[in-house]
Amino acid sequence: MISLKPRSILLISAIFRVGLILFGEWQDTHVEVRYTDVDYLVFSDAASLMASGQSPYKRTTYRYSPLLAFLLIPNSFTSRCWGKFLFSASDLFVGLFIRIILKQRKVPDDLCTYSMLIWLFNPFTFTIGTRGNCEPIVCAMILWIIICLNNGNVVQAAFWYGLIVHFRIYPIIYALPIIIFLDPCFFRSGTKPLLSDWTSDQGKARQINSELTDKCVVCDALKSTFTRSRILFGLISGTVFLLCTGFFFRLYGWEFLHEALLYHLTRTDPRHNFSIYFYHIYLNYERELSVLEKLISFLPQFIVQLVLILCFAKDLVFCFFVQTVAFVAFNKVITAQYFVWFFCLLPLILPWSNMKLKWKGLCCILLWMGAQTHWLLWGYLLEFKGKNVFLQLWMASLLFLAANTFILIVLIRHHNYGPVFRQHTDLKTTKTT
Amino acid sequence: MSTLQCNRLCFHLKLAILWMFFSGAVFCIHVFASTTEVETNSDAGKFIMKSYFENYESLHDSSFEDFMAHQLSSSLCQGIPDNWNVGVRLSVRELSLIGEGSHRHLSSSIRLQIGAASIPKLPAHLCEVIVIQRLPLGVFADPFELQNPHKHKAFRDIAVFGDTNLELPSFQSNRSAVEFHIDAGSNILFMQNNGTEFNLLLPLHARYQPLDESGYSVVEIGEPDMLMRCSVEGKQHKQSCLFMSPPNEKTKSTSATVAWKIPAGMKAHAGFVSVITFVTALLSTLSIVYASMFWSGTKVSKT
Repeated sequence: MISLKPRSILLISAIFRVGLILFGEWQDTHVEVRYTDVDYLVFSDAASLMASGQSPYKRTTYRYSPLLAFLLIPNSFTSRCWGKFLFSASDLFVGLFIRIILKQRKVPDDLCTYSMLIWLFNPFTFTIGTRGNCEPIVCAMILWIIICLNNGNVVQAAFWYGLIVHFRIYPIIYALPIIIFLDPCFFRSGTKPLLSDWTSDQGKARQINSELTDKCVVCDALKSTFTRSRILFGLISGTVFLLCTGFFFRLYGWEFLHEALLYHLTRTDPRHNFSIYFYHIYLNYERELSVLEKLISFLPQFIVQLVLILCFAKDLVFCFFVQTVAFVAFNKVITAQYFVWFFCLLPLILPWSNMKLKWKGLCCILLWMGAQTHWLLWGYLLEFKGKNVFLQLWMASLLFLAANTFILIVLIRHHNYGPVFRQHTDLKTTKTT
Repeated sequence: MSTLQCNRLCFHLKLAILWMFFSGAVFCIHVFASTTEVETNSDAGKFIMKSYFENYESLHDSSFEDFMAHQLSSSLCQGIPDNWNVGVRLSVRELSLIGEGSHRHLSSSIRLQIGAASIPKLPAHLCEVIVIQRLPLGVFADPFELQNPHKHKAFRDIAVFGDTNLELPSFQSNRSAVEFHIDAGSNILFMQNNGTEFNLLLPLHARYQPLDESGYSVVEIGEPDMLMRCSVEGKQHKQSCLFMSPPNEKTKSTSATVAWKIPAGMKAHAGFVSVITFVTALLSTLSIVYASMFWSGTKVSKT
């Protein structure tokens, strides 16, 4: 492998993204099929409305925080590409943050480089930002939160967490693992927590970690549930969230609350999407679903999230990753942009996986892409050829869930699990063994 | 990674991003300046459908025909005995649906004929053809798509009225209509015109249909309603009036409607789809729970 310096990788990525954005502008002007995501037009219209002093929610299908429209106001008076550059810049920050997080754990340079390349040159991820989708901003903020937590900077982590939950509701699923992660055994007043290194997470480290875990479970259960770090995190993130939400509610009223928050909490869409529930929802859309039916569809999500949190919270990044994969897979609506939510975390867990690319890794990639392609084929026949293939499309979504489940289990199986932090007494323990 | 290296990397990243923005902005401003955009007409008073929806809550054929027959009569061109003598005739030469699947184009070919008989002397005038395409429940037009300058630069104005919610299935939505304004030219009433043709291509999208045992739902789209509006310069301000083809002279060279067959869910599937969906979700849940508990590292065997 040719050794590439991080700055070279970032520069090449930047040039590549500029090229894609310019190509996208050309394609939008000269070709019937647009390069730009339809959502970007929605954001831009909402930003124009906001710039002219109106509510961004006058734009139908704008279902985001007014913050996003605010960030895109320069679309109206500088260049309509401003937003795309902003999202692509966030994309680059994600690449940088991946490196920073891995270097915090002393991952070797070559693995860091591979991880950066997996994000920066993944065709799915570089088209997301250049087409005008805002998910890279969310990914960048989540990785920054991880950096802050790794540095023991609870206040800053809490601030960004409150902001990101306001911006995009789904990171609320990370609340409980973060609280568990703020373990009083590691987060002590006046002391920066010690990160466990990548080199020490192989072999014997498992034994040490399991002993530590046993001790700390007893400690937590007795008296350390409400610690300073946890209370601080909860208060600050909650305050930031409520302040942002309250401020925009004051400006835009119930329309903001419904479109930006409540819609996402109650969203069911009968139109075809990757979710296994879409056909069930469509077939029952004309009648009100019973409480039992709603509960049954919510329970798998709830149980999986709870178990994953309880099992993996101490390995925070891995916990985030498996939670996000499961959250997307069991959601009532799945669109392709949701995949970015866990793509940004995948490079962070790979250095701790003993799964080789040849051939298990490759099989997982092909299985996931194959299941997706299979669904897309039926979706194409339904939407663009007008064939009634609802049943086949629904079965393809079942297969897609099965593929996601299988890959998740394989990743769990091959992950070298270990808490992110170690106690300050670790040094003594390591020396004596 | 040392703090110094991190700071250097951040600095280089910021430089790269600044360069991105600068170079891209320069190019994009050029691109932006060289494209033309169709201005969507926000002057809703020009639109006939706007007037309709000020009087009626939703679009129904009977209400619309009543509106056209009575409420628009005051806007007909005055001072011309029997509006028909001007000989303005608008007809649909061809109506067809192009494409496959849920996204198609409605193609209409409109002919405008100006008769020679009894055209009184008129001052200079500018005319536009107004085409109103009423859409049935099962389909909709995307108002933002109609703003695409690449496709619709031939029209003076386009607007969608009625239910413009793009996401609702047909059984939870209301009807909508698209109104086109096409420039017919200036002083066209002075001369006989055997036929000017206007071709309209309206992108339409299918909504999710009510369940149907056959697995398909058929939606019928009728011919558009057409008028011509001419503006003349009055002493104090511009005046405009409408010409309508007389009902008995509307020529139809093709069938009155086009049919669109849209896939629909089948009620017979409801039972087993729900059961298998929930069973699959349950099996996936159990698999993940088992794997998590078995391989989470809390039960690591000590070496």
